[in-house]
Amino acid sequence: MNSSRSHPAAAAGPDPAAVTVEGLTKRYGRTTVVDRLSFTVRSGAVTGFFGPNGAGKTTVLKAVAGLVRPTAGRVLVRGRATVSDPRVLGVHIEPCGAHPGRTARAHLGALAVLAGLPRARVGEVLELVGLEDAAKRRVGTYSLGMRQRLGLAAALLGDPDVLVLDEPVNGLDPQAIRRLRTLIRERAQRGATTLLSSHLLSEAARIVDDVVIIDQGRLLRAGTVEELTSSTASLDDVFHDLTEGRSA
Amino acid sequence: MSRLLKGELLKTATTRSGYAFLLGVVAFGVLNAVVVAAASGDLDEVAEKQEAFAGLPVLLMLWGLVGAAGEYRHRTAAPAALVSGRDRGTVLLSRIAAYALTALVIGVLSVAASTAVAVPLLRDDPGPGLTSAQIASVAAGNLAAFVLSAIMGAAIGAMVRVPVVGVVVLLVVNFAVLPLIAGVAESAADLSPFGAAAILTRSTHNTTLSVGTAALVVAAWAVALAIVSVASERRRDLA
Repeated sequence: MNSSRSHPAAAAGPDPAAVTVEGLTKRYGRTTVVDRLSFTVRSGAVTGFFGPNGAGKTTVLKAVAGLVRPTAGRVLVRGRATVSDPRVLGVHIEPCGAHPGRTARAHLGALAVLAGLPRARVGEVLELVGLEDAAKRRVGTYSLGMRQRLGLAAALLGDPDVLVLDEPVNGLDPQAIRRLRTLIRERAQRGATTLLSSHLLSEAARIVDDVVIIDQGRLLRAGTVEELTSSTASLDDVFHDLTEGRSA
Repeated sequence: MSRLLKGELLKTATTRSGYAFLLGVVAFGVLNAVVVAAASGDLDEVAEKQEAFAGLPVLLMLWGLVGAAGEYRHRTAAPAALVSGRDRGTVLLSRIAAYALTALVIGVLSVAASTAVAVPLLRDDPGPGLTSAQIASVAAGNLAAFVLSAIMGAAIGAMVRVPVVGVVVLLVVNFAVLPLIAGVAESAADLSPFGAAAILTRSTHNTTLSVGTAALVVAAWAVALAIVSVASERRRDLA
C-alpha cells in the first residue's frame, strides 16, 4: 500500500461527512433490526461503531456498503447513495467472501480484474496484511485469522477513501492486531476514513477518534472519544452504562 | 462489461468444480457414443445414429446452477458486487455470460470427443451413413443445448441461492415430474427446457417439435430466466 498517498477527499478540502446515515430503518418481516438510525462519520476520522450482540451493527454496515436495501431512510457515502467503486469504499464484513477452493491470490486477482485495478495491486495488499507466503494456498485451509486478513486485503484492494470493517480483529493474533492498528492510523493520517465495529472496546479505544453506540437498532450516543469519556469513565464504562451491561 | 466478464471467467477457471464438470460431460458423451453405437444393435436410421452424438445438457445446467448459487453460499457475490463499479444486475449478467462461455468450451471438447468415438463405431451399421452436414447439425444442436442450459442453470442458481436446494429441485423436475407430464401430454413435456434440449441434442426423436423450434423454445426459456434472475438480483439484499 502506498502509505504516502493523500486521499482525494483529503486533498480536495474538508468534507465533514464521509458517511451519512439518515433515518435508516431495516425490517426483516416483522422484525425491526435498525430503527430510524441517524449518524455521520467524520471525514478522515477513525470511527468506532459499538453495540451489544444483536444491536444491528452488521446490518447497518451492510447498508453502508449497499449490500442490504434500507426499508426506510438512506445512506450516503461521499454524498452518493450507491457506491461500488473500490477506490471510494472498501468493505470487509465476515465471512471473507472467498471461495474455499480458490487460492487467496486467485481470489484477489479476480476482484482486481472485476475492479479494473492493476494485478500488481494483489501482491501489494497480500504483503500489507502479511499473507504473501500463504497466497498460493486454498482459502479453505486458512485459519479464521488468515481469512480475516484476506477479507481486509480485499477491502484494501482499491486503496479506498472510506474503509468499513466489521469486527476486523476477530481471530487475529497480537501481531496482526498491531499491524491493523498501525495501518488504520496511517490511513487516518493521510485523510482516509475508517468505520469499524468491534467487541473489544479497550483495543478499539486505542485507535478510534469518534464513537457511535447503538442498541436495538437505535442510536444511544455519538461523539468524539473525548466527549464521551472522562478521567474516571473509560469507553468500556460508558458503553456498559448505556447498554445496561449487555455484552459488546 | 468486458472487465466484468473477464473477472467472472477468471473465477470459473480458478476452482476445481469447472474441471470436474468438464470431465463429467466429456465422459458422458464418450460413454453415450459407445453405448448407443456399439451396444444397441444395428442402427439403420439417421435419427438413431445421431443419438450416438447426444450429450447431457442437464450437466451444464447443474454447472451453472452450482456455480451461481455457490456465489451466495460462499458469500463471494458480495465482494464482486462491491468492487465492480456496476449495478448487481450487470454483474450477474456477466456471471451468466461467463458460464455460457465456459459451457461452450466444455461443449466443444465433449462434442469433439463423442464425434471421434461415434463416427468409426457407426461406420459398419446398416442403412444410410451420416453425412458431414448431419454430423455438424447434431454437433451444433448439442453446443446450443449446452450453452443455453448453462445460462438457465446460472439464472436459476442466482434466484435459488442455495446449491443443494437448486440441484434437488432440478433433478426432481427432470427425472420425476417431466416423465409424468410426458406420459399425459408429450407435447407439453417437449416445451419444457429439458424436453426441448433433448430434441436439440437428438437424444430423443419422433417428437412433436422440429429441431429448429426446439432451439427457439430452449432459447426463450434461457432469455426469460436470465431476465427474471437479473431483475430479482437488483431487488434483493446481497448479504
